[in-house]
Amino acid sequence: MVVNYNDIEIGNEMPVYTSAPITRTDIVRYAGASGDFNPLHHDQTFIKLIGMKNVIAHGMLIMGIVSEAVTSWIENKYLRKFSARFLSMTEPVDWDDEENTKGRATIIVSGKIVKKFEENGEKRFQCEIIAQNALGSKKLSGFFIATLP
Amino acid sequence: MADKSKIGMELPAYTFKVEKDKIIEFAIAISQKGRKEEINPIYYDEEAAKKAGYKGIVAPPTFATSSFFWTGGGLMGAIKILGMDLNRLLDREEEYEYFDNIYAGDVITRKMKVVEMYTKGKGRRTIDVTILETELINQQGELLMKYRSTLMEI
Repeated sequence: MVVNYNDIEIGNEMPVYTSAPITRTDIVRYAGASGDFNPLHHDQTFIKLIGMKNVIAHGMLIMGIVSEAVTSWIENKYLRKFSARFLSMTEPVDWDDEENTKGRATIIVSGKIVKKFEENGEKRFQCEIIAQNALGSKKLSGFFIATLP
Repeated sequence: MADKSKIGMELPAYTFKVEKDKIIEFAIAISQKGRKEEINPIYYDEEAAKKAGYKGIVAPPTFATSSFFWTGGGLMGAIKILGMDLNRLLDREEEYEYFDNIYAGDVITRKMKVVEMYTKGKGRRTIDVTILETELINQQGELLMKYRSTLMEI
């Protein structure tokens, strides 16, 4: 789908993106890809030591998932700014209790265009973004600014 | 502990080559896929990337943050330099500003400095905040992106 600047209006929503439930394998894969080996994300014995219950996904994995949501709508080359604030921790799905845990691990990304403006000689727009899990717990809020032809 | 004497401190500059396979690995991870054939071809297929208007295989928008972990002893090294406590560390905010794309094969110099360090709250419930600003410059001396990372020790 090709999006042009004239096609978008303030108030338009970005296409909703739903992730696969985040697994421990996804977290380990992200650890390897990014080099972020904070044991908080994979080592259950470290988790116990600091008094938590479960490993949690990297905030940057959630932002990476949000970037997938954004770039499946607006291509990378048009991005000018991308900002995120991490709001809560995300626990992965437990395979031995999938029914009860997949909701907490499924990330739903939505957004709305709030501004159209000119900057640096380009036509740009700003889109506010929210990522929450399937239970409605907010994980990330932020925005991106992009240009379009 | 927020160590205010570190405000303004520049971390050692670091130069790295953007490996094509690292981009593929990263793109697979953020799209939660198992193999490259399932991801956006601009991240692994040079022809497809050129057709889509890029100079070559391009890095995903949040790829650059990873370079933090590739230098000076990785995460633990950076934490040591900054005097942070791993057991309390959380990533709070990331803000990227893009001027040009990062391409596979680029040789990037990363410059990172501490721009802010402060303590929030009172008594036992204090939070230490550290803000880092990073610039990525390619082999032609062009500034590709700038980003600001807010780290918290809770």
